[in-house]
Amino acid sequence: MTTEHLPSAAPSLARLIQELNKLPGVGPKSAQRLAYYIIRLPNEEAFDLAEAISAVKHNIVFCQECQNLTDADPCTICANPQRTREQICVVEDPLDVLALERTHCYHGLYHVLHGVISPLNGIGPEQLKLKELFPRLANTDVKELIIATNPTLEGEATAMYISRHLQGANIKVTHLARGLPVGGSLEYSDELTLSRAFQGRQEA
Amino acid sequence: MPPPKTYRAEGLVLKNIPFGEADLLVTLYSREFGKLKAVAKGARRSNSKIVGHFEPLTVAKLSMARGRTLDIVNQVEVTENFSSLKSDLTTLARGLYVAELVDGFGSEASSNQQLYDLAIETLGAIQQHPSWELVLRRFELHLMRASGFMPELFHCVDCRKPLEPEQHRFSPDAGGTLCLDCAPYGVQIRSLSLRALKVLRLLHRSRIADLPQLQAHESLEQEVKSLLSTAISYWMDKEIRTNSFLNHLERLPKAEVSS
Ligand SMILES: [Zn+2]
Ligand SMILES: [Zn+2]
Repeated sequence: MTTEHLPSAAPSLARLIQELNKLPGVGPKSAQRLAYYIIRLPNEEAFDLAEAISAVKHNIVFCQECQNLTDADPCTICANPQRTREQICVVEDPLDVLALERTHCYHGLYHVLHGVISPLNGIGPEQLKLKELFPRLANTDVKELIIATNPTLEGEATAMYISRHLQGANIKVTHLARGLPVGGSLEYSDELTLSRAFQGRQEA
Repeated sequence: MPPPKTYRAEGLVLKNIPFGEADLLVTLYSREFGKLKAVAKGARRSNSKIVGHFEPLTVAKLSMARGRTLDIVNQVEVTENFSSLKSDLTTLARGLYVAELVDGFGSEASSNQQLYDLAIETLGAIQQHPSWELVLRRFELHLMRASGFMPELFHCVDCRKPLEPEQHRFSPDAGGTLCLDCAPYGVQIRSLSLRALKVLRLLHRSRIADLPQLQAHESLEQEVKSLLSTAISYWMDKEIRTNSFLNHLERLPKAEVSS
């Protein structure tokens, strides 16, 4: 948090260090290193980085169908006619979509919740993109809903909540197989483990 | 007394938050040292041997090293993870409510074995008897007792006279029951039915196994629940977050009872 050992840092440099320090996992020392790295970059590359940040903030929206982040709505996955509309895979966040896409074993659609039910943090179903999921299921010909939340307590709670909601609905609800370690996350799992978990999914 | 440089403890995981690149900052309530915060290195890596050991509502034996600011977990062995409690939404939500209150009432670096035992016993009972709502009511009352905030149930907290039957009210901030003549300035005062007072007194001295004999009418249970909840909120002095999920679940259509 502090730049006191840089008494003479120019104000604009100090500001950059301060901003980088706000990023997750970046402490004051790393923030300094990154700032000096950016200063040494050729102008063009540094401006590219700044422009990329600004473009992301200007162009990224939620896909109205799957709630993934996208700059075209609907996103490329939802817009792709090759993908089957009969399966929807529910994940916690956009990085999980990337992880599952890398396995190349899934050809349906996704639904991104942008979080999990976390009672201890006051995050309930209302704060997630669940309110978009249930109407979406009511209006389509989805046959299988694959719940691929992380195998953590909160991921499981979210999965149970979805299953309870769909009790009696005419949709098969499945769950990724237990190959994934409890407490782990999809994002950190390798592709082989992930595709095994996918193929071995079980009815919830 | 603060723990020594390296130490062993048995503790219940209350919560965890991501810390650094792959670590977890874990809050535990330990039998030996009260509330502890410790870093579990690498606990978020899927290939880590300890992944999942620090989920809330896990009981573990730990070996720890004191750090300058935060303690580090060296070894961990899970002894109980309440897996069937965690496989049902309602019992899970109740368990997390217990964890949140233990976090709120427990203090750091001060052991309270009564509180620890109460938490473990309550989680076991929620798991074993999912339909006994009074388990939570008993927990709330005994939590206040174990933390030194037990509401008075036999005398008027103002004039100290023993309560006459059917002549009393309740004030969480004045510390319990009041007679009809006393109204201390500036405190919240609620009505208290004789039946609810009796339930509170019974809860106070009951063991968990006695609870089925205490099953009360829905309206009476609601009164007891609301009285205890004002007292708990008063001492907790911050929002109880798990309440909103518990209430949300109550409004959902009931799940078919699972085996
Ligand atoms: Zn989409
Ligand atoms: Zn009095």
